[in-house]
Amino acid sequence: MATIHNEIENWLAADLHGELSESEQSALHAHLVDCAACRKAHHETKTMNKILEETLAHEKPDPAFERRMLAGFRNRIPQRTGVSKVLANLMRLRATQITAVAAVLLGLVQIGRMLTSENAAPLPSHENYVREGFVAQPPQAGATRADQSTSLAKSDELTRGRSQDLTLNEPPPPAAPASRSELDKEAAARPMGLAAAKVAAATPQNLSRAEQAEAKPGETPAPAQANRKLIRNATVQLEIVSFDDAVQKITALANEERGYVATTSSEKQANGKLRGTVIVKVLPENLDRFLQKVRGLGELKNQTLGTEDVTKAYLDTDARLKNARVMEQRLVDMLKTKTGKVSDLLQVEKELGRVREDIEKMQGELKYWDSQVQFATVTVSLAEKEMEEPAAFLIKERSQLALYAPDVEKIYNDIKALASQKVQVTNAQLNRDYSGRVSATMSMLIAPEESGAVITRVKSLGRVENFQTQTERIAQGGSGMSENAKTKRDKVELNITISREEQEQAFQQTSLRIRTSSVDEKAKDLRAVAEKQGGRVRSSTFSRDPNGRELANVWLRVPMKNYPTLMQSLDSLGKVENVTVQRQDRTGTQIDEANAPADISIQVYSQGNIVSHESGLLATLRRTLAQSAGAIMWSLRMIGVAIAFLAPWVIAIVGVIWITQRVVRAKR
Amino acid sequence: MDASELEQYRAAIHGDREAFEMIIRTHSRALFAIAYGVLQNREEAEDVVQDSLVKAWKTRWRVRDAEKFLAWLATITRHRAHDIFRKRRAVSLSNETIEATESHPADTTAIDQQLHSALAALPEVHRTALILRYFEEMDYRTIENTLGLTNGALRGILGRALASMRKQLRPALASPD
Repeated sequence: MATIHNEIENWLAADLHGELSESEQSALHAHLVDCAACRKAHHETKTMNKILEETLAHEKPDPAFERRMLAGFRNRIPQRTGVSKVLANLMRLRATQITAVAAVLLGLVQIGRMLTSENAAPLPSHENYVREGFVAQPPQAGATRADQSTSLAKSDELTRGRSQDLTLNEPPPPAAPASRSELDKEAAARPMGLAAAKVAAATPQNLSRAEQAEAKPGETPAPAQANRKLIRNATVQLEIVSFDDAVQKITALANEERGYVATTSSEKQANGKLRGTVIVKVLPENLDRFLQKVRGLGELKNQTLGTEDVTKAYLDTDARLKNARVMEQRLVDMLKTKTGKVSDLLQVEKELGRVREDIEKMQGELKYWDSQVQFATVTVSLAEKEMEEPAAFLIKERSQLALYAPDVEKIYNDIKALASQKVQVTNAQLNRDYSGRVSATMSMLIAPEESGAVITRVKSLGRVENFQTQTERIAQGGSGMSENAKTKRDKVELNITISREEQEQAFQQTSLRIRTSSVDEKAKDLRAVAEKQGGRVRSSTFSRDPNGRELANVWLRVPMKNYPTLMQSLDSLGKVENVTVQRQDRTGTQIDEANAPADISIQVYSQGNIVSHESGLLATLRRTLAQSAGAIMWSLRMIGVAIAFLAPWVIAIVGVIWITQRVVRAKR
Repeated sequence: MDASELEQYRAAIHGDREAFEMIIRTHSRALFAIAYGVLQNREEAEDVVQDSLVKAWKTRWRVRDAEKFLAWLATITRHRAHDIFRKRRAVSLSNETIEATESHPADTTAIDQQLHSALAALPEVHRTALILRYFEEMDYRTIENTLGLTNGALRGILGRALASMRKQLRPALASPD
């Protein structure tokens, strides 16, 4: 058996250690019978095993080894006893671990909230609960208890700790009475608590009074002091349907409240509506009720109610009056005795007169105040509904006209001549500026029936550039809409601006080029054509360049209606090129398009020499030479730059080399 | 490894002291063998086992898998023994002569000395396996478990260990015969 022979060592060891199965053992033994070498190894291994067993048995730990190990371990890791052991065992439970982690987390959160000064208090909420427990027990809390609830709340701070414990240990309802009895004692011991209880007892009265006041808002609270002089007045603004009706009703109301109507005034508006004021005097104590009733008459727009206390002024005046009376009496006495000089008597009489005047004045004042105090003044402003409805409309027409004419002054005078009874020239102005430009502005007022004719007449005088009419409807005696208001036409205002035609901006601008062989001739033809079409030549130029090219520029202005014909006739003059048309549409203005001016700028030119100086063989040759010469000059310049750039360095390096060589040579 | 054993390890890992003490009772000899395999000195090996047990108790929470508890314990012991071995070598380099005379007491026989030197020449795993076998007469399975070896590996290891011992001690073996 080759395998056993190869691994004989393993087999032998396993055999000696009793780790071979029976079949393996018999296989091994069979091999050992066959193989001498293995037999020898077997023998040796057996001896080896024996020696090892014998020798290592000595080294083997003694029987007390385990005990020593245990004792050492216990020595070094003392066993926990009592609480710590229980705790350690507890901590071994998964549930306990989770609880502990949760507790630590909660603690951290609380600390965090405390640090961020948030209200970290599950405790206060508990207090609230306790407090609620006290208050929210009406069946157990009798009438007296309810009164004392405030004092309870006050002393509750003091007994908080105790009541808390109680509520913690027992369910709240039975706990509350127990703590309350304690609290009652506290409250009795503290005058503060009693005072609070009294206040609480007093509140129901206040409440009922407030209720009374609320129940009768129209009633004037009884004057606090009867001897006070209070002037009460009120103003009410009402919108009513019918003024007369309202006045009647107000009078009736005033009688009802034992007052009277002092004044009535009314005013009729242009639209037939009435507006007015009624001044009513009523007894001050009835004022509020009266106002309440008056308000019912129409729609209240505004109301003010004022009270003026004139007590002090009244008493002052009263006192002064008494003094003056005394003075008067004394002066009268003086006169009666008739002693002294005549001049003195005269003086006394004069003084008496002054005093009496004062007395009368003061009496009047007091009487006035009395009347004012006796009756409150109510000023009712009445206005009928739809006060603002207009009575009539006025149609105002305003027109603006801009004219262009060859002769401004003539038209200016023509328009002035139109003036008549029905056509008034309100403003006429003729301006001439330093460059000789003339313009005029005129304003006219035209009677409505004439306006159409006059405007048409004025329009015919020149070319209308712009005509604008603005109609305004002005409501009179109010604003808004009205169905039956009359409409009237006012005078028409007409503003005219007259300018010279030349100043007018072209309606359309065209530029084109005409190529022809004989420029001068064609330019003349062009002028003739333009004049035939009612156009005017505004300016023209002619030039000739060294190459024999001729160029003529002609600027024309024609009326728009002749523009197409002119353009067609231009074709006969030569080849028309580069036509560009620019139209200026002026929005928002009325333009007489047929007569509006169109500007045409024409460039008539000839081509000159067929072969220009700038083309052909010679020219090309010349240009080539010139360019190559230029290139050579350029490269020369670059070389110069390069030399200028490098030369200093080359010189410096050569210099250094030369000096070094000299030095070396000198050393030799 | 049967279920009750596994339960014991698990309890020990979770801090059950009694379970751990039971493990000390049953396995400290094996640990001693491992330590002795490295150090070949009984006193030192005992200290190593003691230290390792304490350390194991303190760091028992590191073991996630209860099945590997024993192997982990063995590893701790081996490392601790290696530490001691390194320290001893550092000391012995300076006191070699004294060490040489002291470490082999006079009463040991010649074959004993030869045996020890032959043991010392073996690779560590071989030595430890031999010692586990001859100290505790453990069966192969248990030794494999303790040393964290694969099944059947021990047969080769012990075979080779015995063979090399045999070859080294051949002259001595021949004489008593």
